[in-house]
Amino acid sequence: MEKVYLTIVLAPLIGAIVAGFFGGRIGRRGAHSVSILGVSVSAALSLYTLSRFIWHDEGTFNGTLYTWMVSDGIRFQVGFLVDRLTVLMMATVTFVSLMVHIYTIGYMADDEHNWPHDSKVGTNSYQRFFSYISLFTFAMLMLVMSNNFMQLFFGWEAVGLVSYLLIGFWSVRESAIFANLKAFLVNRVGDFGFILGIAAVAMYFNSMDYKEVFARAPEFAQTQVAVFGGVSLMTLICVLLFIGAMGKSAQVPLHVWLPDSMEGPTPISALIHAATMVTAGVFMVARMSPLYELSDTALSFVMIVGATTALFTGLIGLVQSDIKRVVAYSTLSQLGYMVTAMGASAYAAGIFHLMTHAFFKALLFLAAGSVILAMHHDQDIRNMGALRKYLPITWITFLVGTLALTGFPGLAGSFSKDAIIEAVEESTLYGAHYASVLLTIGVVVTALYSFRLYFLVFHGKERMNDHTRHHLHESPWVVTVPLVALAVLSAVSGWLAIEPLLIGDWFKDAIMVTPAHDTLMKIREEFHGPLQYVIHGLHSEVFYLSMGGMVGAGLIWWFVHSFNPRIDEQIQKYSGPLTWVLVNKYGCDDFNQRVFGGGSQSVGRVFWKGGDEVLIDGAIVNGSAHSVGRLAGLTSRLQTGFLYHYAIAMIVGLVGLLTIFVAL
Amino acid sequence: MGFEKFLFYCFAAIALASAGMVISRRNPVHAVLWMVVTFVSGAALWILLEAEFLGIVLILVYVGAVMVLFLFVVMMLDVDIATLRACFIRYLPLGAAVALLMLGEIVWIVGPANFGLTHFPSPPAAGLDVNNTHDLGMSLYTTYVYPVELAAVLLLVAIVAAIRLTMRRRTDTKTIDPAVQSRVKKGPDRIRIVKMASVGPLETPETLAEAKDEPR
Amino acid sequence: MPFNSANLLPILPEIAILITAAVVLVVDLYLKEKDKGVNHVLALIGLLVAFVLTGLVGGGERVLAFDGNVVRDLMSDLLKAGALIVSALTLVYARPWLKDRNLLAGEFYVLSLCAVLGMLVMISANTFLTLYLGLELLALSLYALVAFDRDSKLGSEAAMKYFVLGALGSGLLLYGISMIYGATGSIELGAVARAVAEQGSGNKVLVFGVAFLVIGIGFKFGAVPFHMWVPDIYEGAPTPVAMFLGSAPKIAAFAMIVRLLVEGLNALHTDWQGMLAILAVLSIGLGNVAAIAQSNIKRMFGYSTISHVGFIFLGLLAGSTQGYASAMFYTLTYALMAAGAFGILTILSREGFDAQNLEDLKGLNERDPWYAAMMALLMFSAAGVPPTVGFMGKLLVLEAVVRVDMVWLALVAVFFSIIGAFYYLRVVKFIYFDQPTTAVPIVTTGGVRAAMTVNGLAILFLGLFPAALLGLCQAAFP
Repeated sequence: MEKVYLTIVLAPLIGAIVAGFFGGRIGRRGAHSVSILGVSVSAALSLYTLSRFIWHDEGTFNGTLYTWMVSDGIRFQVGFLVDRLTVLMMATVTFVSLMVHIYTIGYMADDEHNWPHDSKVGTNSYQRFFSYISLFTFAMLMLVMSNNFMQLFFGWEAVGLVSYLLIGFWSVRESAIFANLKAFLVNRVGDFGFILGIAAVAMYFNSMDYKEVFARAPEFAQTQVAVFGGVSLMTLICVLLFIGAMGKSAQVPLHVWLPDSMEGPTPISALIHAATMVTAGVFMVARMSPLYELSDTALSFVMIVGATTALFTGLIGLVQSDIKRVVAYSTLSQLGYMVTAMGASAYAAGIFHLMTHAFFKALLFLAAGSVILAMHHDQDIRNMGALRKYLPITWITFLVGTLALTGFPGLAGSFSKDAIIEAVEESTLYGAHYASVLLTIGVVVTALYSFRLYFLVFHGKERMNDHTRHHLHESPWVVTVPLVALAVLSAVSGWLAIEPLLIGDWFKDAIMVTPAHDTLMKIREEFHGPLQYVIHGLHSEVFYLSMGGMVGAGLIWWFVHSFNPRIDEQIQKYSGPLTWVLVNKYGCDDFNQRVFGGGSQSVGRVFWKGGDEVLIDGAIVNGSAHSVGRLAGLTSRLQTGFLYHYAIAMIVGLVGLLTIFVAL
Repeated sequence: MGFEKFLFYCFAAIALASAGMVISRRNPVHAVLWMVVTFVSGAALWILLEAEFLGIVLILVYVGAVMVLFLFVVMMLDVDIATLRACFIRYLPLGAAVALLMLGEIVWIVGPANFGLTHFPSPPAAGLDVNNTHDLGMSLYTTYVYPVELAAVLLLVAIVAAIRLTMRRRTDTKTIDPAVQSRVKKGPDRIRIVKMASVGPLETPETLAEAKDEPR
Repeated sequence: MPFNSANLLPILPEIAILITAAVVLVVDLYLKEKDKGVNHVLALIGLLVAFVLTGLVGGGERVLAFDGNVVRDLMSDLLKAGALIVSALTLVYARPWLKDRNLLAGEFYVLSLCAVLGMLVMISANTFLTLYLGLELLALSLYALVAFDRDSKLGSEAAMKYFVLGALGSGLLLYGISMIYGATGSIELGAVARAVAEQGSGNKVLVFGVAFLVIGIGFKFGAVPFHMWVPDIYEGAPTPVAMFLGSAPKIAAFAMIVRLLVEGLNALHTDWQGMLAILAVLSIGLGNVAAIAQSNIKRMFGYSTISHVGFIFLGLLAGSTQGYASAMFYTLTYALMAAGAFGILTILSREGFDAQNLEDLKGLNERDPWYAAMMALLMFSAAGVPPTVGFMGKLLVLEAVVRVDMVWLALVAVFFSIIGAFYYLRVVKFIYFDQPTTAVPIVTTGGVRAAMTVNGLAILFLGLFPAALLGLCQAAFP
C-alpha cells in the first residue's frame, strides 16, 4: 500500500508542476486535463483505500519514506500515517478537490476578462490557477497523511502559501492584495503559536514522530513548566498548538482573514476556505487527541473559543449583502461548531461534521459561484431575486445545501450538528454550559441567515438590471455536474456515515478519548438506527429552533419582502446599535488595523528612521560595505601577477607554518 | 675518518658549492655547466652509498642527454641578464631572512639530533654477490610495477603535451614544399606572358599603384 | 605475478580511461578536421565505461592491490564516480567552445583523459609514490591544457606560472614525504600510520614533514597563502580548461588530503588540525573579500574557489567522521557547482567572443530564461542559500565544526560567507535586473542544454534530498 499512498500524494504534485511550469506550452486544455488527471488518480486511489478500510479491514500504515536529516537524535523525516481518521480526510479532500477542478473549467473559462487588457501577469492565468489548486491538493494531503510534526508543519505552511497565492490570484486588484496580506499576517500569528508548540514537543519528547510522542505523553501528564507562573506541560503544548489551529481554522479572534479571503476566485473559496484547508485546525486537534485528553484546561479553552466563534460570527452573516461573504460567515460559524466538538472531546462528531460540512459548504460556494457567473460577477444579493426561474439546477442544489446547513432532519448537517450539540450538553468541563447555550442559539441564527440568503437570491422580485436579466442562463455542465454530485452527498452522507463514525468503533485506533470525557456515550446508548435518530431529532428543541428560524426568515425575506423590498434595510436601521456592531464586525478589523497595524507601523517607523537608516544602513551596512570594498581592493592588489612574488608568498607561508608548529 | 668518509665530504662540498654557483651565475650557459658538476658529484655520492646503477644512470641520462639538451636550448635563447638582476638586490633582505630562517629550521630538524647514527646506524656493506641492477629490476617489475606503469603514462603525457604545444603549421612562413612544387601544372599555376598593345593612358603614380596591387 | 585478476579488478576504471586515451590518440590521426567530434564521443564513452566499471568493481570491503600500492574502498568508489561524472559534464560543456575556435583537437581529449586518469590514481593511492605519480600525471596534463590555445598570450603566461609554482609545490610535497619516510621507514600509508601512532607528535621530524605535506596539499587546493596561482590561472586558461581544472581535480585533492593526513598521519591530528585551521581561516577570509573586487567573472570564480576550499578544510580539521563526511559532501557538490557555473560561461561565449566579464551576464534572463534560472540556482548554491545543496554543505560542515567545540571557527566562516553572498547575488542581479548589453542570440546544442539542466537541477535536488549522497559519504568513513 505504500506505493498507493505515495501515488496519492504525488499525482497532484506532478499535475501542478506540469500545469505550472509548462502551462504556456501545453495550453489550457492540456493544463486542465493533466491536473484533473492527477487529482482523479489521487481521488480514485483514496476511495479505493477507504473501501479497503471499510470492507477489508485494512490495517493502519505508519512508515517512513525518507529521512531528511538527523539532528541531536531528532529524526526529521517524510512519512505517512494512514489510519481511519486519515483515510476519511483523504477521501473528502480529494473528492471535493476533484469536483472543484471540474467546476473550475467552467468558472475560469473566460478569466482573461478579469485582468486588465494586455496585462503581462494575466497570461496563462487559467493554467496557473489549475497548477495552484493541484498544488494545494498535494499540500493538504501531505498535511493529513503526515506521521510526524515536521511534515505536519510543512503541509500546514504549504497550504497557507497556496491559500495566500489564490486569495491574491487577481493580483491587479488592490482589495485582493490587501486580503491576501491580511490572511498571511493573521496566519503568522497563529503559526507562531503552532511552531512554539512543536518546539515544546521536540524539547520535551526529543522526537517528532506522532507515535513516539503519543506513546510517551502520559509520562508528562503531571509535568509543570515554569512559564506564566507555572502551567502543566500538556496544557502549554495543547494551547500553543491550538493557537495555530485558531489561525488556520479562523477562530475568534484570528477569524478576521476568512471573510476577506472571498476576494479569491469562487472555486478556491469552496475548496480551501470552506471544505478543506480551514478544517486543518480541527483535524489537527483530532489527530492530537492523545495530547488534548491530558489537559482539561486546554479542552475548555478550545470549547469556549469554538462556541464563541460559532454564535458571534453567525450573527454577522445576518447583515452581509455579498453572497460569498454570507457563506463565508456561515463557514466561520460552522467551524466554531466543529472546534467546540473537539473541546467537548466529541472528536468523532467534529470530524463527522467536518466531512458533511465539506460537502454542503463546497456545494453552497459552488452554487454561489454559479449564481455569480450568471450575474456577470455581481455578488450583491440586493441585486438578485427570483433566480430560480433562470437557474433551476443551481436553485435546487442550493436549496439542498441550505437545508443541510440548517440541520433539516434527514440531510447531512442534521446528523452531525445534533450530535455536536448533544455532546456539548453532556460535557462536564468548565465552560460547557456556556458553549451549550451559545450553540443552541446559533441554530436559530444559522437558519435565519441561510434562508435570508436563499430567499433573497432565489425568490421574491427580480431586482437585477435589464442587461443582466437578458443574459441570465444556467451554467454549463462542468459547473452543474459537481453541484449535483455534491448535493447528492449532502443529502445522503449523514445516513451512511453516522453509524460507523459515531456509534461504531471506526476511530478506535486513530482517536483517543478517556472514559471521563466520553460525551458521545449518551448518543451511543440511545441509538437505534439512522431513521430512529432522525425521528428523535424531530422532537428535539434544536429542530424547533431551526424551523422557527426558517419560518421567520421566510416571513421576513420572502413574504414581507415582496410587498416591501426595503424591509432588509429597515430592519437593520431599526435595530440601530446592534446592526452597527455587527456591520463593524464587533470592531475586530478596526481594532487590528489601528492597534496592531498602526502600532507596528509607528514602531517600524522609529526603527526605520533611527535604527535602520542611521545605525544599520549608515554605520553597519554602508560602513562595512565601504571597509570591505577597501579591503577587497587591497587584497586584489596583493595579486601582482609576478611569478616570484607568488613563489615568495608560498615560501613565507611555509616558513610561517614551520616556525609556528615545529619551532614553537 | 675513513677514506669513504673523506670522499663523501669532498663530493658533498662540491655538490653544494656547484649548486650555489648554478643559481648565482649571470651567464645561463655557465649555470648549466655548473649543474652538470652538481649532478656528477651527486652520482658519486650515490656510488658511495653502493647504489652504483643509479649513479651511472644519473650520469648517462641526466648529464649525457638532458643537460646537453638544456645547453642547446639555453644557447638558442637570448636571455636579458640585466633585467633579471634588477630585482635581485631589492628582494635580497627578505629573501635572505627567509632563507636563513628556513636553513636554521632544516638544520635543526635534519641534523644529527634526529638523523644521527644513533637513530640510523649504518647498514652493513653489501657483499660482492649483490647485484644492484638486478635487485632494482626485480623490485621495479614486481612490487613497484604499478608506479612504473604510471611513470610510463606520465612520459607519454609529456610527449603529447610537448608536441601539442610546439609542433604547428605556421601560416606565415615562406618555406616551399618541393612535393607541391613539382606538381604544378601548366596553365593555371604557371606564369603566362601576354602581349599587350602599348597604347594607353599616361602612366601616373595612381595607375602604377593599382597595377602593383593586381594579383598576378 | 602482479598481473592477476585480484590486482587488476580494482583498477579496471583506470585501465578503461587509459585505453580510451590511447584509442583517441590513434584514432585522431585518421580523422578529418570536420570529423573531430568522434574524439568527443569516444572520450565520453570511455568515461561512461569507467563509471560503470567503478560501480561494478565498487562496494564491499576495502581491497589492497599491487603490493599495497592501490586501495579500493567505499571512499574511492564514490569519489571516482563523482570525478568521472563531473569530468564528463565539463567535456560536454567544452565541446562547442572548442569547436568555435578550431581547438577541437584530439590532444585535448587525450590530455583530459590522462588528467582524469591521474585523478583516479590519486583517489585510490595507498603509497606516497602512487599518490605522487597520480598528482604529477594530473598536474602535467593540466599544465599542457592551460597552454592549449597556443595563440593566447594569457594562456601561455598562465601555464608558465602554473608550471613553475606547481613544480615548487610538488618539490615541497616531496620533501615532506621524504621526511616522513625518513622517520617511519615506509611509503605505504598503512605502515606509516602504524609507525606514526607509535612515535606520536613527540618526533619533530614528523611534524616537520607534515608541515611540508600540508603546504603541498594547500597548493593543490589553492588555499591561502599558496593560492596565488588560482586567480591568474583561472583567468588565463581557456574557459573549458578553467572549468575542468576548477571542478573534478578538487575531488582528487580531497582524496589526497584524506589519504595523507587522515589515513597516514591521523596520530598527528592536533598538528595538522592547527595548520589547516590557519589555512582555512585565511582562505575563507581572503577568498570572499577579494572576490568582491573582481570584474572578471573567471577571476571571481577563482577567489570563490579559494573560499570554498576553506570550508572543505573546516570539515576536515574537525577530525570527526562526521567532519570528514561533510567535507566529502561539500567537495563533491562543489565540483558539480563549479562545473555548472563555468559551463554557463562557455555557453555564453561564441566564435570570437569569450564571456568573462560580469557584464556579459547582464540580462541573461531575457536572452535565455532557462539558463538564467540554472545560473541563478548555481549562484544561490555557491552563496549557501537554502534549499540548494550549497546551504546543506555549509550547514553540515559548520555543524561538524561546532560539534568539536570550535565555535569561533564556525563564526568566522559564517561571517565571511555573508560577505561572500554579496558577489554571488550580484551575479543574480545582473542576470535578472539588468538589460542585456548584446542582442546576439545564445546558440546552444541539445546535449549542452540537457547537461546543464541535469547539473542545475541536481544542485536543487541534492539540497532538498541530501540524505542519499550524505549516506554514501558517511558510509565511506565508518
